[in-house]
Amino acid sequence: MSVAEAIVQTDKLTKRYAGGILAVDQVSFEVPAGTIFGFLGPNGAGKTTTIMMLTTLIKPTSGRAVVCGRDVVASPDLVRLDLGYVSQDVAVDENLTGWENLYLQARLYHLPAETLRPRIEELLKTVELDEHARRLVSTYSGGMRKRLDIAAGLIHRPRLLFLDEPTLGLDIQTRTRIWEYIRRLRDEHGLTVFLTTHYMEEADNLCDLVAIMDHGRIVALDSPAGLKARLGGDVITLEMGAPGPRDGLAESMRSLPMVKSAEQGSNGIVRLVTHDGDRAIPSVLEFLGSKGIRVSSVTLKRPSLDDVFLHFTGRQLRENDGGADYRRMAMAVRRARR
Amino acid sequence: MRSARAGGTTGRTLASDTWWICWRELKRLWRQRVRILMTIIQPVIWLTLMGNMFQRMASIPGFPARSYLDYMAPGVITMVTLFSGIFGGITIVWDRRFGYLQKLLAAPISRTAIVTGKMLAIAVQTAAQALIIFGLARAMGVGFAAGALGVPVLILLAVLLSQVFAGLSLTLGALLTSHEALMAVVNFLTMPLMFTSNAMMPLDMMPPWLARVALLNPLSYGINPMRALFLRGWEWAGLSRGVAVLAVTAVAMAALASAMFRRSIA
Ligand SMILES: Nc1ncnc2c1ncn2[C@@H]1O[C@H](COP(=O)(O)OP(=O)(O)OP(=O)(O)O)[C@@H](O)[C@H]1O
Ligand SMILES: [Mg+2]
Repeated sequence: MSVAEAIVQTDKLTKRYAGGILAVDQVSFEVPAGTIFGFLGPNGAGKTTTIMMLTTLIKPTSGRAVVCGRDVVASPDLVRLDLGYVSQDVAVDENLTGWENLYLQARLYHLPAETLRPRIEELLKTVELDEHARRLVSTYSGGMRKRLDIAAGLIHRPRLLFLDEPTLGLDIQTRTRIWEYIRRLRDEHGLTVFLTTHYMEEADNLCDLVAIMDHGRIVALDSPAGLKARLGGDVITLEMGAPGPRDGLAESMRSLPMVKSAEQGSNGIVRLVTHDGDRAIPSVLEFLGSKGIRVSSVTLKRPSLDDVFLHFTGRQLRENDGGADYRRMAMAVRRARR
Repeated sequence: MRSARAGGTTGRTLASDTWWICWRELKRLWRQRVRILMTIIQPVIWLTLMGNMFQRMASIPGFPARSYLDYMAPGVITMVTLFSGIFGGITIVWDRRFGYLQKLLAAPISRTAIVTGKMLAIAVQTAAQALIIFGLARAMGVGFAAGALGVPVLILLAVLLSQVFAGLSLTLGALLTSHEALMAVVNFLTMPLMFTSNAMMPLDMMPPWLARVALLNPLSYGINPMRALFLRGWEWAGLSRGVAVLAVTAVAMAALASAMFRRSIA
């Protein structure tokens, strides 16, 4: 990626909070314009802190960040014009209706009066809240609030949208729908999306690029496929139809294209590690067929981002701890409900 | 080059940002109008009760009013103003707590507008409250010596007073980020502010030390001229002094609140 098309660029960006916690530790990375960029990491990794520095909400302790071509410390006002920010807290005003929340947001971004109403209607439709627009937000569900919050972040058509845990604590359906909006925004408006998540699945499905963050540092940055490839590749397991060990089979398979390693267990099962499992299977089967060996079953296992996370941090991402997520979401909503 | 729009601190955006922040507060106040009305009705009930209880006080030689009710009406306006002002700034702590403040701060608006917008909303609220209390007091037979032209002046005094306390509470809101701590401090302040002013009792009936304290209390500068308007009519010297002292204090408090707020988010 060339420097010219990077919409976010950081150089040794660091934040040490009063009290000594080093939340972000000399982080340097680039986000190419037009991508969906994901920050993946466990609680306390420093994701929110990084976003707050990039959105001019807190000042870096040291290092530099250039967002939309401007330095965040030198010209925060100009940076703010180009970016949308949807925080981890569900920050909608529940004393206002859905429509009023967007109207206020539009006014605060100095939108001209004539574009304001059509824009609000359009966004309400996008997040499927048009039928509830005149209701007070205090009557909204958690998912509706989050969708409204995302719409508010888009009101001024930013070039870059920051979404801090956009799907935290939402049900699968709502989550999938939010993914769809995000993809559509990128495809139709060329929006760059910078999101954080601690769902592996989300990073895998949605992001073009994923940075894995742990203890304030970026430990890996690549496409989801690239990250998985670094683990070694896909694993193909073959069971043979005819009984009996076949000497030298594994050895002879090592020379096949895309196959990185092959081993045969004492039970005759062959385990292959390949670059690209999908494409390797046909040639593997063809090879075995030419030798007159019948295959009774083939399984392909690709490494998950879970495995990637484990590989780079030595720890399991607490992805399955849905209970904790739910509690955090409930807390955010409770805080919002005065 | 900074455009006026991007600069965010030019006069035009400050004014419009202030208005939109105020708009949000007013929407909320309007939706809570029953609660706000109760904050008016309660002191009016007080006023009636006290008018009865302390009626004899008015016959003490030297008591400056025809009835205690006449004496207390401006005191009640002041009290409601004090509460509206000093509790008004608390909203900023809520905004911080539930993330809305960050949303405001990520927007290209003037930082000062967050403070001035909230103050403006408190001014509007106070004006409405003062008018309602004035109307109720008149309906209860309280006299108003200054006549119709005195009403806007009365409202102006109440609004200036509300701005002094709104500035104070926004300053505290910037310094104390916990809602509990802020409530404790504000509650701790209101009663002494009330009782060290001449809201309840004339200055020359107070012990000398208390009278001296009362002269430092901004509340006194609102009540004195208000009371004059009610009881005696136009007393230009006291009125201009009151308006001047309150206006200067209000502007100073607004500047202080804005500075503290900017510091707290830096
Ligand atoms: N205002 C603050 N003052 C002091 N320390 C803070 C503050 N905010 C965050 N931290 C600390 O900085 C570290 C990183 O926090 P941050 O909120 O950036 O993590 P995160 O990756 O967003 O986590 P999560 O997934 O829980 O949202 C944590 O150890 C946290 O305790
Ligand atoms: Mg976070």
